[in-house]
Amino acid sequence: MKLLTHNFLSSHVKGVGPRGFPLRLQASEVRIMPVEFNPDFVARMIPKVEWAALVEAANTLSLGEVPTEPIQGYEQNEDFLRTMHHILLEVEVMEGTLQCPESGRVFPITRGIPNMLLSDEQTEA
Amino acid sequence: MHSQKFVPNIFFPYQVHCLRSVDNLFVVVQEFKDYQFKETKEEVLKDFEELAGKLSWSDPLKVWKINTNFKKKKTKHKKINQNSSKEKIDNGQGDKRDEKDVKKEFTNNALDSHILDYYEKPAIKEEISTLVGDDLASCKDETDESSKEETSPEVLKFRVTCNRAGEKHCFSSNEAARDFGGAVQDYFKWKADMTNFDVEVLLNIHNNEIIVGIALTEESLHRRNITHFGPTTLRSTLAYGMLRLCAPQPTDIIVDPMCGTGAIPIEGATEWANCFHIAGDNNPLAVNRAANNISSLLTKSQTKGKLSCGLPIDAIQWDICNLPLRTGSVDIIVTDMPFGKRWDLVFLKMGFTFTCYASTHMSSKPVIF
Repeated sequence: MKLLTHNFLSSHVKGVGPRGFPLRLQASEVRIMPVEFNPDFVARMIPKVEWAALVEAANTLSLGEVPTEPIQGYEQNEDFLRTMHHILLEVEVMEGTLQCPESGRVFPITRGIPNMLLSDEQTEA
Repeated sequence: MHSQKFVPNIFFPYQVHCLRSVDNLFVVVQEFKDYQFKETKEEVLKDFEELAGKLSWSDPLKVWKINTNFKKKKTKHKKINQNSSKEKIDNGQGDKRDEKDVKKEFTNNALDSHILDYYEKPAIKEEISTLVGDDLASCKDETDESSKEETSPEVLKFRVTCNRAGEKHCFSSNEAARDFGGAVQDYFKWKADMTNFDVEVLLNIHNNEIIVGIALTEESLHRRNITHFGPTTLRSTLAYGMLRLCAPQPTDIIVDPMCGTGAIPIEGATEWANCFHIAGDNNPLAVNRAANNISSLLTKSQTKGKLSCGLPIDAIQWDICNLPLRTGSVDIIVTDMPFGKRWDLVFLKMGFTFTCYASTHMSSKPVIF
């Protein structure tokens, strides 16, 4: 699971609503998979990203200094774009968990695939 | 292309093999838009026999020859690198329909600017120029032989495949293939071989339309991305078509919430690598197959000598009735819904719920089923 994907995932446990985002990430196995750098792609993706959630996830995985906000003029800043490219697309969580911040429900990540299935009583009405 | 004089261009087969929505390729020998079938079976079959000798075969055979040389180069590369085993399903039924569509699709695509843009991609250009280079080198040796071929054709092995659709025919596809094939054999003095053939002659009959062609592809191209099949795997060519309908923009987030073996997102990650693709399914078998197909793709691109590169795609196990996606995160939803004779009304209900979720999660782009 890439951090870009993590940024879109939200808990859908009954009654949780928007408080189910972001899911707390914990990783026991991570791999780095190089992806071709496309500065345009990264620059356009940045506005779509929930920045605080990304920073939190990156810090959990000890990925180094991530600015608390996208820096001014990031579209032209190649170093910044390369850093974000690496964080969003090249880091893959192979084993770990995602936890709903509101209900505490834990979703496992196995072989890179998060399992977001809920048992019946936990699903939304 | 069908009834015009066609001059084989050496670049042609390469570009044609890059067309992503095409299942099968064949060069047309002759097309009959409104064939007049005689009344009795005997007369119809006799006409087919006589037809073989009346067609102009030399240009299509030239194309076939260029194509065969091109494929030989490709197979050399492939055999060295192939390490994954393929499970194949028999899709004979579907192929019949597709070959007719291919002919139409092919002529449209030649003019389609999207395809032309595709040729401009550096990776494709590179592949084409390498293969052309190789082929030109070997072609030099063959130009001497080809002039000999006109007068003394090599003894090739061939078969005739007849695909027939239509209610008013008084003959079967087997009968047509057999009699047409017999005449082809007499005409060329080729050897008939159903399994180890060099030339596959196609006799495609759809109501009153007949196309005689020579196949340029052996394995239907729809299997290209999927090595791990499931019971209902969507053809990559169809997946490509569906994605095209969505007109993906760069950095669109494209989700298939019922991805099965992942045919659509995988085709997406290959062809629209400037978008991000999410493949989800509730069935653990399906998600695992999707993940395996993704890994196979990565292995494939590794063996081509490129840097081992990840792809803009992720797989998730989820319930479509409870998509764990934050509002406004998704741009496009495209999926092959599990409807049809195999499934019951439960899924119709699910489809409705799904539509509701689509409206909350999406930022106003189309949903394609």
